[in-house]
Amino acid sequence: MNEGTAVTLVDTLLAEQQSLTAVERFSQRHDRDALEGLGGRYSALLPVAPPGPGEQYAFEVNLDACTGCKACVVACHSLNGLDDDEAWRDVGLLLGGKRGDAYQQTVTSACHHCEDPACMNGCPVGAYEKEADTGVVRHLDDQCIGCGYCVLKCPYDVPKYNERLGIVRKCDMCVGRLREGEAPACVQACPTSAISIRVVKVGGMGVSPVASKTGILPVFGTEGILPSGAAEGRMPYALETGKMPVLLGLVPGAFDSSYTRPTTVYRTTKIMPQNTRPADAGLLRLEHAHWPLIAMLVLSQMSVGMFVVLALMGSHSSSIYVAAAALQMGLGASVLHLGRPLGAWRFFLGLRKSWMSREILAFSVFAGMAMGLVTLPMVVALPPAIEHGALVATALIGLLAVFTSAMIYIDTRRPFWKASLTHGKFFGTAAVLGTSAVAALMMNRGMVIAALSVRVLLFAWERTKYRKALDDEASDWHLSARVMKHRLAGVMDGQEALFLASLVVAVPVMVASGMGAVMAAWGLFIIALISQVLERYCFFVAAMGMRMTGGYKA
Amino acid sequence: MKQKQGQRRVVQGFSPNKLGIPETAKSSMNSEPDGLKPSTTLLDRAQSFIHGLTQRTGPLTDQLVRKPGAFGLGQVPARLKPTATVNLVCGFCATGCSLKAHLRDGEAINLTANEDYPVNLGMACPKGWEALTPLDAEDRGTTPLLDGKPVDWQTAADTFAQRMKAIIAEHGPESVAVLSTGQIVVEEMAFLGAFAKFGMGIKHIDSNTRQCMATAAVAYKQSFGFDAPPFTYADFEESDVLVFIGANPCIAHPIMWQRVLMNKRSPKIVVVDPRRTETAMAATHHLAIKPKSDLTLLYGLARLLIEKGAVKREWVDAHTSGYEAFAEFAQAFTLERTSRETGIEAAALLELATLIAEHERVSFWWTMGVNQGHESTRTAQAIINLALMTGNIGRPGTGANSITGQCNAMGSRLFANATSLIGGHDPNNDGHRSKVAGILGIDETLIDRTLGMAYDQIVDGIAEGRIKALWVLATNGSHSWIDSERYAAAMQKLELLVVQDMYPTTDNAKLAHLYLPAAGWGEKDGCFINAERRIGCVQKVRRAPGQALSDFNILRLLADAWGCAERFEKWSSPEAVFELLQQLSAGQPCDITGIEGYAMLEREGGVQWPLRKSEFPITRNPKSEIINAERRLFEDGRFFHSDQRAKFFFDEPRAMPEPTDESYPLLLLTGRGTSAQWHTNTRTAKSAVLRKLYPQECYVEINPADAEALGVASQQVIRVSSRRSSVEAVAVVSACVQPGQLFMPMHYEQVNRLTFAAFDPHSRQPSYKACAVRVEM
Repeated sequence: MNEGTAVTLVDTLLAEQQSLTAVERFSQRHDRDALEGLGGRYSALLPVAPPGPGEQYAFEVNLDACTGCKACVVACHSLNGLDDDEAWRDVGLLLGGKRGDAYQQTVTSACHHCEDPACMNGCPVGAYEKEADTGVVRHLDDQCIGCGYCVLKCPYDVPKYNERLGIVRKCDMCVGRLREGEAPACVQACPTSAISIRVVKVGGMGVSPVASKTGILPVFGTEGILPSGAAEGRMPYALETGKMPVLLGLVPGAFDSSYTRPTTVYRTTKIMPQNTRPADAGLLRLEHAHWPLIAMLVLSQMSVGMFVVLALMGSHSSSIYVAAAALQMGLGASVLHLGRPLGAWRFFLGLRKSWMSREILAFSVFAGMAMGLVTLPMVVALPPAIEHGALVATALIGLLAVFTSAMIYIDTRRPFWKASLTHGKFFGTAAVLGTSAVAALMMNRGMVIAALSVRVLLFAWERTKYRKALDDEASDWHLSARVMKHRLAGVMDGQEALFLASLVVAVPVMVASGMGAVMAAWGLFIIALISQVLERYCFFVAAMGMRMTGGYKA
Repeated sequence: MKQKQGQRRVVQGFSPNKLGIPETAKSSMNSEPDGLKPSTTLLDRAQSFIHGLTQRTGPLTDQLVRKPGAFGLGQVPARLKPTATVNLVCGFCATGCSLKAHLRDGEAINLTANEDYPVNLGMACPKGWEALTPLDAEDRGTTPLLDGKPVDWQTAADTFAQRMKAIIAEHGPESVAVLSTGQIVVEEMAFLGAFAKFGMGIKHIDSNTRQCMATAAVAYKQSFGFDAPPFTYADFEESDVLVFIGANPCIAHPIMWQRVLMNKRSPKIVVVDPRRTETAMAATHHLAIKPKSDLTLLYGLARLLIEKGAVKREWVDAHTSGYEAFAEFAQAFTLERTSRETGIEAAALLELATLIAEHERVSFWWTMGVNQGHESTRTAQAIINLALMTGNIGRPGTGANSITGQCNAMGSRLFANATSLIGGHDPNNDGHRSKVAGILGIDETLIDRTLGMAYDQIVDGIAEGRIKALWVLATNGSHSWIDSERYAAAMQKLELLVVQDMYPTTDNAKLAHLYLPAAGWGEKDGCFINAERRIGCVQKVRRAPGQALSDFNILRLLADAWGCAERFEKWSSPEAVFELLQQLSAGQPCDITGIEGYAMLEREGGVQWPLRKSEFPITRNPKSEIINAERRLFEDGRFFHSDQRAKFFFDEPRAMPEPTDESYPLLLLTGRGTSAQWHTNTRTAKSAVLRKLYPQECYVEINPADAEALGVASQQVIRVSSRRSSVEAVAVVSACVQPGQLFMPMHYEQVNRLTFAAFDPHSRQPSYKACAVRVEM
């Protein structure tokens, strides 16, 4: 075509392919369209007036209209400029019924903008605010240190950790859009108008005593989620005059969080079959392992255990250096867990409610005292009584610190992290590693026997609890036990092998002397250390955190 | 400016005295400023100090700041604020939504749904929202590949021409075939069909539209005299009764479902589907029929309607032919027989017949549950028969309406030069031949009097060694073709496989000897024709990666290399081709001579065919100032047969080709999984956010009764085996499939390894939705 010139047809076509002319040809019309009345289109989906005193904004979902297109998820992603795989809305699926009344229902959910947000209460640095005028729970991205505690605290898996930025981000109900009379992205994008924004009464999220007994009473003048108590077999609706029924509790499969008081209102006129379950019910999920936290917990608890043992022994041996070093390593590891550690000094902002703030405070004091105990004698000679008193005080502060560690997890209300289990495990680790380490360091046969006894007791206690939860389908942490059995079988077998190994290794400690005994004592300690690391790994990975109704997860 | 006002409002809100902030909200106010009174108390000072430690702004906050985007967009992410917008029709399904590309420096940086378009009214499904993302995939083809090694375009084009010519020289023109697509613009389809037949001189060209709407095309052509879907989407809003047969629009066409929910006539919605689908859940009536018993159901309904006196005899006598024979034929489908063969209780059948008989506006809608069957053409025509006999056609809210699959299925049907002579012409009609030859400026002898083979016959031809070279464009038969292992085996026999696609990584492209990198939707200009016959524009809003070229430009290059460029001098640009297609359409039912170029399509929000020159200017809707945006066919009762009558077609139902038996006791149904997946997932899988919306592993739905009997638990990996193959899938226990049936979504490559290759004899469309399987642990 272009023979005789230097430009070939290929060149021409490639050049043409790279030229963009759509703007010149077709965009003129759009230049005129400055901010047209977007608001008018969605007026039925937005409240007439902003929230007044004692009110807040809430999402309302008409389940009858939600047919599972999931445009809300992707529109949230696009209209908010989120990262590639980031969206603040999820869609789950309920399945139920039998032949003839087969039931399926998609469930769209975002942040429930709880009345008493667990995320906010857990944040150590005040990176969450609940707006006083709108009730929207906002995350302050530049305040966030990326500790991820809110991710554990939220019973709906709403805040999401962003690896790229090292912080958490979450839904803000597009509150800036709401202020301009525009609909949030998900509301704008729903082809069937299933999602709307409503003004609800703050404090109306509770259930009246009568309703909680019967489960189905009309709750006049109340909108919002009514913590269910709606046991199986009862119709899980609250009826309000002139309105679609409200589901009591969120939806099946969603954690019934009466303590955070989520504000999203789900309505449906359809009868949900009694056997309705989330599509992912029974799915054995492996949660994040949080290796820095495993290191932090095991090492700090070992350190506390050693201080306690030393205080009880009344001995200020060189073991104290090891105890202090273990603590420093543990605390160092915990910093690796933070996405943006430089802001962590603000930890005291959360002291009023956050166990993480309290843990940081307790360990800071503990670390300070431990360092003092280690370094002060190098500078000045202290009277033994004072030195022992300081040791005892340090050990007590250490125990308090372990208590705060446990409370961090207990406060998430995950069944697997309930108080009896968590305290038992954390103080158990302190006891086992404290005794084992001191036994090895001081080659104290009596201490070896103590260590071994603690180890046997702890292991027996853990395994008994585990068997019970595994066999009892009604156990609150049955699913976690199943995760351990079916998805962590190797780790569980390893634990058992380590336990048997420690029994075998214990023999030379008892009978031998000299190097053999020393090496065996060290062996016992190392085996115990590994076993506690594995235990803490299971603690995180098998936690089965609460979340909203999930979808197919093949 | 407005942003600032918003901030001020927040600060005002923090005065508890003014608003009486409730207790729960107060707790969070410790960290808030109280700018309205001086800090006096210790507590105030502490609060003020704490406030100073709270970072409300900064680089991380800035990432998500939203600002007014202008162009009628409302707020958009500040870092994605456009400098211009243009609209383009979505490149996935046949709904044909208009998307608004947000441009900066002429290039699309984001996208929203277009509010001004009569199809989607500001809405889009997840695929549409994510339409730009597949363009950025890392595995885009950026250079031609010859035996897997990069070559320049000239080498690729010369190789194509030389090797194709050599094969034709040795084995004849019938030894080369083309498998095309419903996913490229109509100008490219037309160019492809013209180049293949009038340039290369080959005969066999078919496309993946064979898998989706061949049945509807044949059914309409036989019944109405032309492949003419009669409806407009407004009919969703205008019906009293909507009957969906083998259709799941909630998932497959969510934006059409939006129109159903906009119906203000409190319609009855009937869903005929073996599964309790999302649409069945949303319907007022669900008939969970036995798979592949729909033909019997429809004939049984016809008999019931005759009995009820619901036949509009006067209209039928004036506008149809063959009714008497059909009425007699239908007598064999008694209520008892229909109930027994469909598994639907007699009462439910009677209720449906009553609904149809007693309502003014009844519309029938079908999709792949009908089209993909072993007797699909007659099934579609049984639906058409119901509409004809009850006079439910040509009026608002009525019609026998095929909801089809791909963005340009209709364009393929009219202009691909494959299943008809380009423009819906008959290659054996002398008048048509001379008209087409004259407009295109080609020798009439270049037009073959017979059409080429269908997709399945092409695959057979390859398997049997008769076809030596295959050119595949924008389709992925290795995944999508029925009994796909047989297809894959056939590919191995080819002397030359050329694949032209956006990605060299599709199942089919990986087998190619020569791969040609194609620009995608959004990287080229042209038109799509949607399911309601609406012609809409796509625009080039992105630069294609590397050396990828639009299919149009690749065809120009190949024509040049073939040595027949002068024969296609008129085919200089997509818009020039569009003018050719308009000329070709003159006098045809799909006459579009009244369209004044792309500018008019853009301005008017697309135009439904026909739009004859004589019709323009046509009525304008005073409110929207666009042309009467919704138009349906057959309002005058005149059809496209020479006698202007619609015809009744019918045949005795046949048993399904592979029934269950003792060895394979379960029936496998296939279909769409979610609205976030498109066909073989070559594009939709590129979006991380779409990937969140469906399981990454293949799954199979199984009824609780079967699961219990087989000892299958939900989430357990099981093995599903047919006589063709055996695949693994995760079990999902759901009562939404009936006992004895399984459901697997077609988006997973494994699924078509299992399917049984049966075809409708009239449309040659594959019957994907029924094959016998068994489950193993």
